Amino acid sequence: MTTTIGLRAVIGTLMLTTALASAVHAQDDGQWTRPGKDLGATRYSGLDEITAANVGRLRPTWTFSTGVLGGHEGQPLVVDDTLYAVTPYPNVLYAFDLSKEDYPLRYKYRPDVNPASVGVACCDAVNRGAVYAEGKIVYNLLDGRTVAVDAESGRELWKTKVADLTKGETITMAPLVVGDRVLVGASGGEYGIHGWIKGLDLVTGEVVWTARNMGPDSVVLATPGTFKPYYDTGTDLALNSWSGDSWQRGGAPVWGWLSYDPELDLVYYGTGNPGPYNAEQRSGDNKWSSSLLARRPSDGELVWAYQFTPNDNWDYDSNAENILAELTIDGRSRSVLVHFDKNGFAYTLDRATGELLVAEPFVHVNWAERVDLATGRPVVDPTKLTGKSRGMVRNICPNLEGGKSPASPASYSPKTGLFYVPTNNLCMDWQSGDAAYIQGTPYVSANIPYTAGPGGHLGAFIAWDATTGQRVWEIKEKFPVWSGSVVTAGDVTFYGTLDGWFKAADARTGESLWKFKVGSGVVGAPITYRGPDGKQYVAVYAGIGGDWFLIAGDVRSDDPADVRPPADFAPDLARYTSRGGMLWIFAL
Amino acid sequence: MKPKPVLAAALLALASCGGPGPADSETVTAARNLPAAVRYDQYGSAGNLAPPAEDLVNPFNGEPSATQQGEVLFGAMNCDGCHGGGGLGFVGPSLVDGRWRYGGEDGALFHSIFYGRSHGMPAYGGLLSDATVWQLVTYIRSQPVPGVVPTVAWP
Repeated sequence: MTTTIGLRAVIGTLMLTTALASAVHAQDDGQWTRPGKDLGATRYSGLDEITAANVGRLRPTWTFSTGVLGGHEGQPLVVDDTLYAVTPYPNVLYAFDLSKEDYPLRYKYRPDVNPASVGVACCDAVNRGAVYAEGKIVYNLLDGRTVAVDAESGRELWKTKVADLTKGETITMAPLVVGDRVLVGASGGEYGIHGWIKGLDLVTGEVVWTARNMGPDSVVLATPGTFKPYYDTGTDLALNSWSGDSWQRGGAPVWGWLSYDPELDLVYYGTGNPGPYNAEQRSGDNKWSSSLLARRPSDGELVWAYQFTPNDNWDYDSNAENILAELTIDGRSRSVLVHFDKNGFAYTLDRATGELLVAEPFVHVNWAERVDLATGRPVVDPTKLTGKSRGMVRNICPNLEGGKSPASPASYSPKTGLFYVPTNNLCMDWQSGDAAYIQGTPYVSANIPYTAGPGGHLGAFIAWDATTGQRVWEIKEKFPVWSGSVVTAGDVTFYGTLDGWFKAADARTGESLWKFKVGSGVVGAPITYRGPDGKQYVAVYAGIGGDWFLIAGDVRSDDPADVRPPADFAPDLARYTSRGGMLWIFAL
Repeated sequence: MKPKPVLAAALLALASCGGPGPADSETVTAARNLPAAVRYDQYGSAGNLAPPAEDLVNPFNGEPSATQQGEVLFGAMNCDGCHGGGGLGFVGPSLVDGRWRYGGEDGALFHSIFYGRSHGMPAYGGLLSDATVWQLVTYIRSQPVPGVVPTVAWP
């Protein structure tokens, strides 16, 4: 652990934010009904039974094998006295009765998911969880359908095909419900999809609107007068910033997290990388790939957009969560959103307008010098640009796993005023080739070896001050930190590691307080809730997967003949972990 | 993943010649309303009746020029996007570990590429001609299979 800033600075922020915290997060109801806990995706719980002083006594109270090997990303939900868990493909929904000893199942819902989707999902057959609204559990199936299940009985209420598997579209993201709209998007940035987000009717499941992330204003749902990007002017921005018709298969998937501001009536989401990886096949800014979009949930109308990485040369998806917070910046109270991009910069933006307020690197970054606050654009190091004509470009940091993986959501405590961020310390070399578009097959063509970042450790869990853009503390980890995090009113933050530890740290100091080996690497996001018995519990999935399924070498015991060499940046990951999904619950 | 070499559009647009089955097997297939299939001796057969057999013969039989052409196709048709550079394995299974879900003989490989398989392998029949599929088969079969070492140990 390294303290990079004195504690005084933290406490200063604290005083300012405590009053706001109590206003925003009144009495915590002890449930966890949305992927990011609340509409602002803070993953902050007001529960405070577990504290820095007593977390050392935390012990496992219950476990459940999901019977599934795929990467267990995302988080369970707790609604009243039921815990809901969605597995990776085949996307089984389990409902556990927390009011009875042993938490017996109320039901399990077993959808019929097309197994072809397993071969079309780029990065393991993951699922990032469900959302609860109005008596329904709503989630996505890998083969491109959104399903609503009666939370009480497990009966299927509706199932809507929203994505087209034959075009390389799968769904891995967790939906968000705002009012009577269910918001969903598709994965497939490596398959040449034409990225979109859709609004479904919560009652009937019908698709009410579809908004593309690129193309003419008519399909992007950008109307002059309503659409006001802070740093751009003009029409058809998402069409004219692509060479030729490259926008039609330009990727920009929606596989991350959504958040919503009820006062502004804006839903926020990030888009993934443009395709193919060879940027010379799609010259221009490629709006709105690797971007942040703000839309009205009722009709999908685009209100503002901001592009983190114009003409993304490095697979810097921007699907990371956008955490809503009230922060004091330069002495002024601002309603902001905070985003930790794959490109290594942490962004604090005014969430009404998209104005960039703070943009600082939160990991080692060398592809850009800085982000120019006046133009909103990164100042790129031209020697780090990639493309077929540039051959093998060496030592680009961060690598395409991201300074932080969008699959690993950060948390924010209004009590400490800090963000708790899982990070990767990885760099890469990059060689692009010509990619041929063949529908439903990968549209990538690149050779991208990874290397360890400076210092030799491959990851760290950090606390971040988004008002100034500074790291407050850091816990170095042997492997990339690919779990999500949660932070509580007890000033404890939890995260997991790829080598299978679930850990607790002091949210104020970064002191490591407790750890437990959960069997398989953690790529899920922990939650905390109040059980029917009034006690505070912490739950998390174990089950390594996601990108690590592809590149870690032999963590697949179901494939004993795996002849791939172990990843040379992490040759011994398989020494510590293997695949297999488990749900863990802990309490004092 | 290895960069994919450029392939002339003409090659991509090669017309399909339709299914490969000879007439006698088509009769069996039609009678059972089953797709044409190949006998794979390693499959179990609960009904003691082998699937309709046909002898798919690779016309190239390891010819180096077909192997080379197959290697080009392996990149150009995005095979390496799923199966990894050199077919080592990535999203899709390894093609060089000596183990096969659907059979590793010439005919089985032809079927996997031409008709696709249920866990995401797209059917390339219609996009590639029979001869082109055989070039891919020839390339895949030419790859050396490393000996599987049953024990992995760390110092």
